[in-house]
Amino acid sequence: MGRARAGASRLVWGAGTLAVLVLGAVVLPWAGGLDESLIHYESVRLAPSLEHPFGTDAGGRDLLLRAFAGLRVSLLVAVLCAVISTVLGVLIGGLSGALGGWPDRLAMRFVDTLNSVPHLLLGIVIVALYRGNLTAVVASIALTHWTTVARIVRAEVLSLRERPFIDAAISGGASRWRVLHRHLVPAVVPQAAMSAVLLLPHAVWHETALSFLGLGLPPHMASIGNILAESRAAVLNGAWWVVAFPSLVLIATTLAVSGMASVWRDRLVPRRRSELAL
Amino acid sequence: MIVEGLSVRFLVRGAEVRAVTDASFELKPGRLLALVGESGCGKSVLASALLGLLPGNAEVRGSARLNGLDVLAADEKTLATRVRGRMVGLVPQSAVTHLTPVRTARSQLKEAVRALKPEQDVDELAVRVGLEPELLDRYPHELSGGMAQRVAIAMALAGDPPIILADEPTSGLDRPLVDRTMDLLAGLAEEGRAVLLITHDLAAARRSATDLAVMYASRLVELGAAAEVFADPLHPYTSGLLGALPEGGFRPIPGHPPELTHLPDGCAFRPRCPVSDTCTDDPSLARHGDRLVACRRPC
Repeated sequence: MGRARAGASRLVWGAGTLAVLVLGAVVLPWAGGLDESLIHYESVRLAPSLEHPFGTDAGGRDLLLRAFAGLRVSLLVAVLCAVISTVLGVLIGGLSGALGGWPDRLAMRFVDTLNSVPHLLLGIVIVALYRGNLTAVVASIALTHWTTVARIVRAEVLSLRERPFIDAAISGGASRWRVLHRHLVPAVVPQAAMSAVLLLPHAVWHETALSFLGLGLPPHMASIGNILAESRAAVLNGAWWVVAFPSLVLIATTLAVSGMASVWRDRLVPRRRSELAL
Repeated sequence: MIVEGLSVRFLVRGAEVRAVTDASFELKPGRLLALVGESGCGKSVLASALLGLLPGNAEVRGSARLNGLDVLAADEKTLATRVRGRMVGLVPQSAVTHLTPVRTARSQLKEAVRALKPEQDVDELAVRVGLEPELLDRYPHELSGGMAQRVAIAMALAGDPPIILADEPTSGLDRPLVDRTMDLLAGLAEEGRAVLLITHDLAAARRSATDLAVMYASRLVELGAAAEVFADPLHPYTSGLLGALPEGGFRPIPGHPPELTHLPDGCAFRPRCPVSDTCTDDPSLARHGDRLVACRRPC
């Protein structure tokens, strides 16, 4: 009972926080009339005040508007990456598990090869080839993260294909294709959707890391990574708010999505009390 | 369907498992043939062979002819497009686990009907098997064992197949549900279908079967009209099975069935046989009146 209440509370807090953040990302930059290319030399690195609740950055721009504008870009990148990675992962992992044999071995060795290189390094190679635009950043994250989804989906398909309901579908005359798309894929959708949701905060951090290293989005685009990259010098000058508030937005987004995902995971894989005690 | 000389062998880590040996019988329209025997004697393997659902390491011999097609020799495409669901419908044991858990019963039944016989009405099919159509909107975990079993029977009927294979369809069900399921299967036979019921529940077989085949250690040992076999068993093993029932005196057969990897030479029942332990030659089914019995010294 206590566990269910804790889950509901995590869900409410997660959904509430995410709703506020997304609403802020959509409304605030527009309502505040943010012009990302406009520099205000008269208000450089102003501490938080009523006029500028998050303070201002080295270009005198309002950090509240800029942090939420950055969050909008980061979330857009994250959602695109999560969708592309999940579609690729389900397709390759599902086919790999369902076909078995040499297609499975070939696909999994390719996944092993990709996984043997650090994702960030591989992502850097991809953005280095097409640097400075949104498509390159999305491609660099999506093309290096589908492997996780593919592994999860393949493992699930390998387990599911031995289950009696697959035998029943086959004995009912279902073709291999029908078994795959009517019985196996619907059964792995919850797991795949779960991986997609968990990928969201991961992709936000990846985008932040790339932009922080100066390899992500172009500097004028207000992504969280760009703001944090610019803030390095500000910290040395005592302007803590330039790092603190955008970081808080990033952390709050991650915790909100992860909190909601953990509730979903608990509902997806119900465990007995005795198991929880282990 | 006429099954002749059906044998199934598995090679497992160098050992040979003789799961079915030289089984011959006929599935006739309007008849319900119950195949009974202790667990592990090869009954389910026999059913799987008739649907082409055996694993890759199985070696199959013999023939099972239906409408000019040898099911045992058919390739995977023929089995999927002509046999499974269309010629032979399967009613599995523990039906809940045989339904895809994330889809409603209606969605699965609709899919089967659309693929096999689109003119059939899903609700009518449900009513035919004694299921309220509203129950089809439930997910498998929301159905009781009996309801799930009726959904499974409806799925088996989706392609209106002339043959129904029911593999332990009553396991895990309580007695009233067993009786209901058996009556349903008997009704399918009365409609003109041939039904093969695989079970170790002799009471269920007695209730509905028109014919009875008894299997022991991979072989059919007795085959005949159910009423006659129950009234006057000829094979010592059949007598032993009936003697182990409450109404037969609760006298279990001494010993254990042999491992299918180490079948004794000659009659496999010899070590447990109360009649004779000297039958060292391999007994095949021989006619005794209207009955086929694999025994040199029938009771």
